[in-house]
Amino acid sequence: MRRNGKHSGGRAGRANGSPAGGLGRFFGTPLPGLHEEEWAGSLIVLEGSDGSGRSTQIALLTEWLESEGFAVQTMGLRRSSLVAEDIDDLLANNAVTRMTLALMYATDFYDQLEHRIVPALRSGMLVLADRYIFTLIARAVVRGIDREYLHGLYEMALRPDITFWLNVRPEVTFEREFKKSHAISYWEAGRDMSLSSDLYQSFIRYQGMVKKEFEILARRHHFVEVDGERSVAEVNGDLRAQIAARLGIRSTRFRPASARAPLWR
Amino acid sequence: MKALDELVNPRSGEAGLELAPAERPAPSPRKDGQRPYPGALVVVEGIDGSGKSTQLYLLKRWLEIGGYRLHFTEWNSSELVKSATKRGKQRRLLTPVTFSLLHAADFADRCERQILPLLHSGYLVLADRYIYTAFARDTARGCANAWLRNLYRFAPIPDITFYFRAPLEVAVNRILSGRPKLKYYEAGMDLGLSFDRAESFRIFQGMIMEQYDRMTETDNFVVMDGTLKVNRLQKKMREIAEERVDLDRFRPGKKA
Repeated sequence: MRRNGKHSGGRAGRANGSPAGGLGRFFGTPLPGLHEEEWAGSLIVLEGSDGSGRSTQIALLTEWLESEGFAVQTMGLRRSSLVAEDIDDLLANNAVTRMTLALMYATDFYDQLEHRIVPALRSGMLVLADRYIFTLIARAVVRGIDREYLHGLYEMALRPDITFWLNVRPEVTFEREFKKSHAISYWEAGRDMSLSSDLYQSFIRYQGMVKKEFEILARRHHFVEVDGERSVAEVNGDLRAQIAARLGIRSTRFRPASARAPLWR
Repeated sequence: MKALDELVNPRSGEAGLELAPAERPAPSPRKDGQRPYPGALVVVEGIDGSGKSTQLYLLKRWLEIGGYRLHFTEWNSSELVKSATKRGKQRRLLTPVTFSLLHAADFADRCERQILPLLHSGYLVLADRYIYTAFARDTARGCANAWLRNLYRFAPIPDITFYFRAPLEVAVNRILSGRPKLKYYEAGMDLGLSFDRAESFRIFQGMIMEQYDRMTETDNFVVMDGTLKVNRLQKKMREIAEERVDLDRFRPGKKA
């Protein structure tokens, strides 16, 4: 496991207060009606492409954290009650322009932030985010939207306490995704970008571009980079160790309940 | 696509998504000829009841009858995000931020699929309300001005922005006397200004007007007196349009 940036010292036992040392709760201007305040909850983000094992890890972490007595709230992309269905429709018809799509995703994100995440953090819950603004920024940047524009767009987002990046090579995620659904989706392969008429080439090039953007984001926002090509149990052990240090959990021992036990082999 | 070095070297500093507001390029008007397209953009702004739509309609009729190549567009007319906006409004799910973002998404669709292509192909585009509506209304709702300015940075700057200004009471009474059913967000009920819809509307319109007034200088508005007689005001509007935009190039037979 590699820690990006300079905030590499583990600050064990800190369960509240502002996330990255000295920096505010928000990246920039706070959301209207809110100001910097002490919240009891923590925001933990998992980033990584499709096929990086994100969702599996979220499920396992939720189980572990609940067994440790933490109330967990999750969020993810296209899960707002406001516009999730509309984005699904836009993607299905792919008649949408890149800017409109970027702004619809921003609407989806802020709706969840205001209606779900902020109330959860205020009431002391632990929020696990299955992707965050970084995916949205990376996808839009590779489509030619100005990086500073996007950073301005998301300046009212909350700064995560930890951002994990499950790093997996595109060649590996291609195999994993193909095995899972015997197909590669239009958007995952970046087919809207006319990179190659060959699906595999298009996928590799597109995911490579997104990955490059993630490398920039990783430095800028001090991601905790995790080698996602290892076994589920190994990756999970790393995540638990980091989270335990942040939240002051003494034991990181964990065996998933029977339903998820096969993942452990 | 961005240049490679810009992809690799982000400009702003350490771990911040924020930009200093002063560094943001405000959409300030540029001199004619510096625009990257042969078309022209004329917009009208002002609070409800200021007479702007009537005046733009008359300007449009004048140009249409003359055979000019033009396109008319309205704020909030895109099919694409209509269902989301409608759902959000009906169920009152919208916050100032999501209200603003949904309208920006809607505008982006119109901008990328109509306004920009038409400007590039040499059309005169007439817009009933433009980004200044968002700046005025969303700032009044509590969104940060710098955030809004950034949000709409992709929008082309108008060649003329007519700002129709009538005293608040005159404008509000024009609306309240003709259309008693005010919608929740339209009346600014989400701001908790008053339990009475008409009263809330009155206060909200006053807040929006204050924001418009502030932009008069910074965004180079042409202020139009909304209390003048319709035909006199229209005569003025046509004179200013002719003076500020080379209308000749949109005449029939002329190539862009």
